[in-house]
Amino acid sequence: MSATFLASALVVIIALALFAIAVSTLYLNTYAWWDPKTQVRTSYSGLQGTEGHSFSLIMPCRNEREEVMRATLAALLAQTHSRKEIIISVGHDDTETVEVAHRLAREFPEFVRVSVDVSERKNKPRQLNQALSMCRYSVVGVFDAESIAAEELLAHIDSVFTTKNADVVQGAVQLINYKDTWYSLRNCLEYFTWFRSRLHAHSRQGFIPLGGNTVFIKRELLTAVGGWDGSCLAEDCDLGVRLSTLRRKIVVAYSPQLVTREETPDSLSGLIRQRTRWSLGFMQVFAKGDWKALPSRRMRTIAWWTLMQQHFMALAGVCIPIAIAAAIWGNFPLVVTLITFLPLVPTLVTVAFDVCMLHEFGRDHKFAISWYDYFRLVAGTPLYQMVLAFAALRALFKFGRRDFAWEKTDHSGSHLSYLVPSTAAPARQ
Amino acid sequence: MATTELKPAPPAAAGTPGAKAERAPKHRGTAHGPTFNLRFLPLWDKVALAALAVAAAVLSLWNLDGAPSYQDDEGTYTSQAFAVHSGTLAPYTYWYDHPPLGWIQIASLNWLPNLLGLGDGTSIGATRYVISVYFVASALLLYMVARRLGMRIPFAALTTVLFILSPLSLVLGRQIYLDNIGVPWLLLAFYLALSSRDALWHHVGAGICFAIAVLSKETLSIFGPALLLALMYRPKWSNRLFSVVGFLTAGGLLLAFYPLSALLRNELLSGPGHVSLQDALAYQLLNRSGSGTIFEAGSSRAELLAGWLYFDKYLIAAGLVAAVVCLLRPRSRILFVAIASFATPIVLGQGYLPAMYIIGVIPFLALACGSAVDIAWSGAEGLARRAPGLTRPLQAAFVAVLSASLLLMSVPQWFEQDRTLLTAQTNSNWRSAMTWVQDNVSRSDVVLAPYSMWHDLNSSGWNNAWTMIATEKPDLDKQYDIERPGGWREIRWIIVGPSVTANIDSLGLSRVKTALQNSEEVQTFGEWSVHRVINPPST
Repeated sequence: MSATFLASALVVIIALALFAIAVSTLYLNTYAWWDPKTQVRTSYSGLQGTEGHSFSLIMPCRNEREEVMRATLAALLAQTHSRKEIIISVGHDDTETVEVAHRLAREFPEFVRVSVDVSERKNKPRQLNQALSMCRYSVVGVFDAESIAAEELLAHIDSVFTTKNADVVQGAVQLINYKDTWYSLRNCLEYFTWFRSRLHAHSRQGFIPLGGNTVFIKRELLTAVGGWDGSCLAEDCDLGVRLSTLRRKIVVAYSPQLVTREETPDSLSGLIRQRTRWSLGFMQVFAKGDWKALPSRRMRTIAWWTLMQQHFMALAGVCIPIAIAAAIWGNFPLVVTLITFLPLVPTLVTVAFDVCMLHEFGRDHKFAISWYDYFRLVAGTPLYQMVLAFAALRALFKFGRRDFAWEKTDHSGSHLSYLVPSTAAPARQ
Repeated sequence: MATTELKPAPPAAAGTPGAKAERAPKHRGTAHGPTFNLRFLPLWDKVALAALAVAAAVLSLWNLDGAPSYQDDEGTYTSQAFAVHSGTLAPYTYWYDHPPLGWIQIASLNWLPNLLGLGDGTSIGATRYVISVYFVASALLLYMVARRLGMRIPFAALTTVLFILSPLSLVLGRQIYLDNIGVPWLLLAFYLALSSRDALWHHVGAGICFAIAVLSKETLSIFGPALLLALMYRPKWSNRLFSVVGFLTAGGLLLAFYPLSALLRNELLSGPGHVSLQDALAYQLLNRSGSGTIFEAGSSRAELLAGWLYFDKYLIAAGLVAAVVCLLRPRSRILFVAIASFATPIVLGQGYLPAMYIIGVIPFLALACGSAVDIAWSGAEGLARRAPGLTRPLQAAFVAVLSASLLLMSVPQWFEQDRTLLTAQTNSNWRSAMTWVQDNVSRSDVVLAPYSMWHDLNSSGWNNAWTMIATEKPDLDKQYDIERPGGWREIRWIIVGPSVTANIDSLGLSRVKTALQNSEEVQTFGEWSVHRVINPPST
């Protein structure tokens, strides 16, 4: 009797925890749609007549192909904003990329310079810090080597800095090669919800893990906090956490016309490596404990919950079916079994909303989403959850072994083939 | 250059749409003044809500245990609510007669009035206090829905007054019926669906509330089309796809828990040796002896209608007429749809029709009346604008006609019936019969008792559902054969109330019939009597 009771209680507690996680995921994913007003509030504030800021754009590169770098640089050079410089950041051991970088700098000597990081252990934050020391303009922005910025992005970012008196502005990144593989569709949608909705919810709560791309920070502030953490795998998230604790004003802005376009990792193992790195980075940030300096208990709880989200999400995806199976064959009382099904409600509602979001993704970016795509999205969900869960577990394992080596994501440049329709499309209002 | 097209509304221009919205509300073109919102409640709304809450509470609590008389169905749900306290869904085999969420809600509340000793010490009486909470909630939600439908404060209040004072509503609203549990959830669903903010969570909430309403009483699902219309029928908004998908999936997934629980008990599909959801549905929808058509004099459907009309022909007639008037105003059209879809099975169907079915539509009849009056008032205002000198006389005439018709409606029928409800003691014979049994019958004797007193008797010492047995169980629950292999001969006492003989015929209770034929009347209390089965000859 008591053993059965204890087992039942355990199952119920796990089910309720999973339910809380699933509800929180549902809330964050759909935050932007809760209210039509939210959508207005989260968009850009409109162009100002004059340019108020100047931009130093860092483009970190490692083992990149020339055509990819060229496309990225071209989009930065084509910015309508007039006061900008671009610093291509490379590592000294990556000779081919260094060569390409210098060649590009020679082609556009007015705008482009090269920063070579000579530190022994290579990673993105160290390259960024090296480049930061060369920046001259008032705002520092980061663009990954494989990302294509929208032409008017800087102009709009400038206006946001002015009108909202921001210290940091996070723009949106969108993966677009949704047709390439089974996971790329899910991956694209994940970015869509992250930048369209989740980040805004975090911003509302006052605790933002920043992204590493299309992020803009006032240079003085960035220098004052010592730049990026050179030993952290999620240097972007870490910076967000530190600036949140300093209560600096971080603004997140979204407009489908102004997203920076990027591609998904080119293989499943690449995706797993990337996710492991992120998860590990979040764990590092969590372990560093800067978030504990947040002023109120409520904010600390939110920070804790946010930093654990990645793992929660991944584990929930795997645990829900296991819990249900256990409850069905474990011969528990009916109520207990029914409670184990409870997390399935927000999870399936989330999937239903994913379908709506894919519709909106297609509409925003002028992609013709077919019935097959919707089917792939739904059918791929459990598998994708398992991939995320695997990456999270792998990260946990590495964290236990203190293995913080940088696993870089390779890029094939497949997003470039998607750009024709989207850049040619007329801007919408 | 796309610069200008790209430019989202700058801060300077942001005021313009807002200002425009003030002049011409974007949603629900009929709304008077700002849309109703609980967070920013004008004084008069607060006053109205407070007054209506007091009125509803007084009318539903006053003489609650005196009238109307306790019904078997009330006893059924009371006993099932108490069964939930001990971890099962019913004292006998739960056969999917209704989804259980209704009495699970009762169970979550009825320990309190029991603890406080309300209800003259009877559990059925105490459980009625739970229902009065739901009645008050329904009354307040009705006012809120009326306001969200754009009615003016006095007419929204009138709507609720009709609901509180109508004898039909008050008689049924004081009894322990599952419909009374479901109605506030249904009204909350409408309140959320009619929200003017177009916020997604309101619409998801509407889906959840509707699912709870249907899981409380399945017949309320008839209002699904009207609810969906309430959600959709407005200018297109940016999140419409999300709203509809959220409403349908959240509601649908919650509803799925009912068949899921049946599946987990291996009782979803019909099979030998167990009850099933399939059998129950087939019984309720197909095999249960039908109520005939409404056009056939003397059919039980026609009798049922006559019974409803007996309690309040005015509200029913006025509501039906008002439903047609509601077609004149876009926002009110959902009321027509609600009432029409409710009436369809009554008019066209021939299947079984439960007496409490009417409970679901009473709020909509009241809303239709309030809405029609509001529409008429708007019409009078339109007239007055064309002839400014006539404003005062028109308003006065309107109020006079309205008050006169209300008086005509209420004085002869409502006053008399409501007074009976608030003063009569219709349960004294029920109580005497029960007390006699408690005082004179051995706790080891097998007794048949109508459900209305079953739980109170059983908990007064029998504590065994197969010694103190609800009247229909020897014939309808297969478990009886296992528990009482001697058949009807094991029965020692039969308590006969007003419904017992009718039930014996309509449900075909042959064992009870035989036992009753072999019994003598020992005590009588008005329409109640106690019979002792005499020397059952052994075979």
